[in-house]
Amino acid sequence: MKRVAATMRRTIIDIATIVLGAALTAGLVHIVAILIIPFYASNDAFARLSNLGPINATILLPEAGSPAARLFPYLDPAVAAAFCRYDLTDGPVRVKAPVARYEFSSLSFHTRRGEIYYALTDRAATQNALEALVVTDKQLRAMAAHDSEDETPPELRIVSATNQGFVLMRAFSQEPSLLAEAQERVRALKCQPEPPPG
Amino acid sequence: MDVLAKTLIAGALGLAAGLWSAESALRLSRGAETTRIGAWSTAAKAGTPGADPYTRDAIERSGEIPLAPGEGLQLVARVDDSGTALNPHCLYRVGRKVPAARFWTIGVVDRRGFPIPNPAQRLVFRSSEILRDSDGGFAIAVSASARAGNWLPIGVSEPFYLVLRLYDTPFSATATAIDKDALPRIVRESCR
Repeated sequence: MKRVAATMRRTIIDIATIVLGAALTAGLVHIVAILIIPFYASNDAFARLSNLGPINATILLPEAGSPAARLFPYLDPAVAAAFCRYDLTDGPVRVKAPVARYEFSSLSFHTRRGEIYYALTDRAATQNALEALVVTDKQLRAMAAHDSEDETPPELRIVSATNQGFVLMRAFSQEPSLLAEAQERVRALKCQPEPPPG
Repeated sequence: MDVLAKTLIAGALGLAAGLWSAESALRLSRGAETTRIGAWSTAAKAGTPGADPYTRDAIERSGEIPLAPGEGLQLVARVDDSGTALNPHCLYRVGRKVPAARFWTIGVVDRRGFPIPNPAQRLVFRSSEILRDSDGGFAIAVSASARAGNWLPIGVSEPFYLVLRLYDTPFSATATAIDKDALPRIVRESCR
């Protein structure tokens, strides 16, 4: 009787040890998995955009509701969007987007990892256009070294934390029939590579 | 039982449980830091460097390109005002006002965030096209069968969410500052 009790107690301790070990391992695995997913996600927005066209080209996002738009959830059917991917390895990229008066349009700047690091709307437009130079940290320092001290730099310079990324332009259509017009507006987005500074 | 066997069993169980919990956490939630305001919820930091890892992973895996703070704010309702899940067999009244924004849209999406195609081709109502009452307020009927006035069709049996997008709004970065009463109410009226 005593032997049976001792065996039972040992079995319970064994099971308790295994459960505790499993719980600790599970917690660790859970945390590690959640943290490393962004570094291994091969089907994120950037990867999906890459399949739609070459770098620096302005590409219209498929209309929300169309079968082609099944790649990008939560697109607004009232908003036209176009994007261009950039690569700053060989120099900065100049982004230009004409905006229409009284119409909402915006630019958002996304890193390769999908972080939005800058955004501006048509309210920031000068001479009916939004313009910015996307640079790496290193390029920004090289340009600052060349800037004259008396003049302010002629353009808005935005530092991208990753060499690759994409710029998205959105334009709001005030009526369903004006969506085509909004699409024309976002198609005018231009991303032009520039020679490296210095 | 020797230590090696125990370690192996615990390790295998832990690995399976850890991966399963991570997977289901990502499948079920849209991020840890969602702000609930009445029936509506929003992940105001989605897509920004300040986003929590769950929000980040959810965005990464879905392919969603979120609105930047500064561009606007997106709010999603999965429940009505009483906290009950939205039911495609019911008629809902949505209105009468929306927080200050230059433009806004209210639309219907399925559980993955895609518009639900319908013969009326009405996926969304814009602030600039919606029919308003004399006091400036509006009411949208959300139902599977046609309604007079502002009608957002849903699928007969497909689960749906409501999406409110505010463009150029002072509330972008501070979702918690939005008052519950400033958001459209979602009232269930009748069910089939």
